Amino acid sequence: MPPSRVFPRYLLPFAMAAAAAARAQEPGETIEVQGERRQGSPRAPAAAATVVDMAQFGGEVRSVAEMLSTAPGVSIHALGGPGQTATLSLRGASADQSLVLLDGIPLQGPGGGAVDLSTLPATILDRMVVSRGVLGAQFGAGALGGVLELLPRSARGSWTGGAEASVGSFGTERLALDAAMPAGNGSALVALQGDRTSGDFEYARQRTPEISGSPYYGFTRENGDATRGSGLLRISQELSGDLGLDLLLQGSAGVRGLPGPSSAPTPHSREFDADGVAGLRLRGSSGDTTWSMRASGRLDRSELQGVLAFGGCEDGTPDCPRQDQRSSSARAEGELALPVGEANSLHLLLSGGGEWVHGTTGGRRRGLVSAAVRDDLTLAAGFSLHPAVRLDKVGTQNGLSPGITAQWKPAPEHPLSLRAGWGLSYRAPTFTELYLERGGIAANPDLRPERAWSVDAAAEWRLALLTLSATAFWSSYRELILYQLFPPARVKPFNVGQARIAGVELQAVVPLPAHLLATVSYSLLDAVNRADGHKLAYRPPHRLFARLARRGDRLEGYGEASFTSAIPRNAFDTAFVDSQLLLNAGIGVRAAGPLWVDVEAKNLLDKRTYEDLFQYPLPGLSIALIARARL
Amino acid sequence: MKRIALLLLVAACGGTYQAPPPVASIALPDGSQLKPYDPAQPGQARPQGLAQAAGRVYVTLTNQRDGNPNPVNAGPGFLAAFVPSTGAITLIDLGGSDGKQCQNAGSVRTSADGYLYANCSGNFSGTDAARAIVEVNPLSNTVTRRGVIPDGRVPNGVAASARKIWTGNAALPGPPTVFSIDRTSFTADATAPVLVDCQKSIYSYVADVMTIGGDIYALCASDISGELYRLDPDTGAIKAHTTVGPIPTELAGLDDGRIVVVNAGDNTLTVVTPTASGLDARIALTFASGTSNLQDVRAFGRTVFTVASGNNTAQRIDLDAQGGAKVVAEANFGEGAMPWNILPLDDTQAIVSNRGTNTIAAANWVTAK
Repeated sequence: MPPSRVFPRYLLPFAMAAAAAARAQEPGETIEVQGERRQGSPRAPAAAATVVDMAQFGGEVRSVAEMLSTAPGVSIHALGGPGQTATLSLRGASADQSLVLLDGIPLQGPGGGAVDLSTLPATILDRMVVSRGVLGAQFGAGALGGVLELLPRSARGSWTGGAEASVGSFGTERLALDAAMPAGNGSALVALQGDRTSGDFEYARQRTPEISGSPYYGFTRENGDATRGSGLLRISQELSGDLGLDLLLQGSAGVRGLPGPSSAPTPHSREFDADGVAGLRLRGSSGDTTWSMRASGRLDRSELQGVLAFGGCEDGTPDCPRQDQRSSSARAEGELALPVGEANSLHLLLSGGGEWVHGTTGGRRRGLVSAAVRDDLTLAAGFSLHPAVRLDKVGTQNGLSPGITAQWKPAPEHPLSLRAGWGLSYRAPTFTELYLERGGIAANPDLRPERAWSVDAAAEWRLALLTLSATAFWSSYRELILYQLFPPARVKPFNVGQARIAGVELQAVVPLPAHLLATVSYSLLDAVNRADGHKLAYRPPHRLFARLARRGDRLEGYGEASFTSAIPRNAFDTAFVDSQLLLNAGIGVRAAGPLWVDVEAKNLLDKRTYEDLFQYPLPGLSIALIARARL
Repeated sequence: MKRIALLLLVAACGGTYQAPPPVASIALPDGSQLKPYDPAQPGQARPQGLAQAAGRVYVTLTNQRDGNPNPVNAGPGFLAAFVPSTGAITLIDLGGSDGKQCQNAGSVRTSADGYLYANCSGNFSGTDAARAIVEVNPLSNTVTRRGVIPDGRVPNGVAASARKIWTGNAALPGPPTVFSIDRTSFTADATAPVLVDCQKSIYSYVADVMTIGGDIYALCASDISGELYRLDPDTGAIKAHTTVGPIPTELAGLDDGRIVVVNAGDNTLTVVTPTASGLDARIALTFASGTSNLQDVRAFGRTVFTVASGNNTAQRIDLDAQGGAKVVAEANFGEGAMPWNILPLDDTQAIVSNRGTNTIAAANWVTAK
């Protein structure tokens, strides 16, 4: 059964951007000016945010989940090895409590809930912005832990392109291509990514875990294969005057085995999924006023084969029905940004649409209406204020989400900045939670919305590439929806939780001689069930990430360590997932012209005893060879 | 006369001999042997409760097929009788003339006079006609009587006293009660069910009932707590109660009067000691593995046996080990076995019913050094 949570904060956008800036120029590649800052989300100025720049991970085979896990305040819940389900937790919030937007378009899973990060192709993205905190006022209902914004590669007015191919352990392969070009009165971009893995890694587990020192036995993961193809098309056209038109199409389809927990493997369970997102935006400006209107839609489909409440079954047999689940949404929205005086910028948003879901227990639909207003106020003495309020109507459930962030800098170029934020919002139950019965997971149509508020405060010192930051937050949840064991043998969601989640997020980005850049992030999470004082399950109390990377025009490399402390596995403080330490490293050389060849190794300690929260084994040492070029 | 013969057999089974070694694995019947309502959609054994009588072991077969979202009762509930050392199986159909008067057989217990009693939970709706308490004569392996359950109640667990058969109500979301069937008329007593509540957040139900030391014990389980009740065997009057761990699943009595309870919620074993003033409970053991999902506990003398479906294991526990209760041996039944209930054959040997693989398997212990 699954969940999640919350936190951190701020400062990383810049760390990641700094790392990218530190690397030496590659032929044909645009280099950022040293010290340039990748800003957080324009929708949430001064909110706690981290920018994860994909270029920082050039020459590394990284999934979206792996790159996100480098940021403070982020936890990834991964079901096993490559290509398997991975969900996002921000500041200890559940995956359902974290919005995921692709170029501003909300994504959801096939059940209308959590997004599976493994279905998102990393190479078509330019960067990811992780904004943390209760941000319903800025992004809409559901953003209780925060928001992940996926920003795809941009179209360009000149011909550019790139290719990357990799092969590695467990039959893991990737091929990615992208090309940007002039098109009409604008530009276009096409990006494709294909992934495949056999997922047949070896792992070890004890057969008699209650006997101290009992041996570990070796197993080979079966039915862990995954194949996926993804594509992105972006077209931007400048129309007459100040009008512009942007089209975005993104799609992904995959098939994978569902290997099941190590204690009860499911060798016949499979999943097919497909999703697509389309958005068309008309934008314009008049004087200092800018506006945009966008229509967008999303389709998701998932079909489970050979999946039952008690493990698996053989697809095609009478008692093994396929479970087809589809969800979709469509919405139209208009945004207006108008300056009011010299120190005040007002932003208005109106949005309306609907969402639909269809599963084994029938179809459902509900309307979505939102209205929001946000103000960016520049005050005297280095202060800025960003109040916002948003009304969301999700089906029959209405909610108001107010929020405010503030920032102070002694002077515009001063390295010190202080900021604080507060937000209050709610999350309507997902279709999955309300209506969709799936195997051993029951639905509960009586669920009420979750509600939360949070405060945070941060200090940051930024000088050229050096960034030091510290953030503390405190959040309160009520009507929390938690999956509970439900006799005789199922789990079911209930509004039973009242939680307090507090934490600290620390970040340091330190430039070193020889083109080296050190990055360290630490997250402390104290998630407590207020009903009984026990720790909330599935939230890691401590996460530490450290990375040392070098970028050059002929040689590059990195080494990193990721430590996650023991994680509570149940609601009574008596069961834990063991702590985990992962070491990764890679090195690459520019072989000829724009061609780079890299080799990387993950889990250098070859720990084969690690499992995720649900007894899915994690792979040991893996090695990948990567060739890439960018023109 | 028949009852006397049963008593003699029960007495004969209570010695201190070492049981013959059980066969490693016994495959339980499937397909047409389980009399499916629809031959094209037969159920699987999905075994649960275990009991000994007349020199044999009896296991309940829920006879369900997998369904989405819930398992489906595919045929009548069964008892399968077998001798652990040989594995030969005799099936006892509990379903009555139409095969639908007992479905989803759960627990089975032996009375002091040698009869077997099994509860049939039906489809857990509390309204179907497949809910019953069934009496079986182990000498003839036949159903002798069937008690109908009043609407609104789902029988879970069964305990026989001299004059009553007690069972718990597992209808969700509650309230948790126990009620009785008169052993003479074999009909549900008209008296109001006895409330055996426990602190809850979402739901509570009766996880099991059992006869220990002449009294009836009932286990209330909830998502956040558990409560063990001691009841008068004739009237159901509450004599004492004490709090145990969250989501307790089963209980067992030791020969020194102590009672052990396994708590699935927090992976603990609670030892309850009856005292003059009531019941004294303490946590004796927290299982090291966070994935145990404790399903059952039984005792042989003072040796405790537990079973954990979450990691397919069973444990042999010395409650009085130096330094506190200790797992002295553990057995693994293989991936996907999902062991559900356990039956000690002596103080070292035990068999389990595997819901996942539809087998009865002997514990092959790995002993702690």
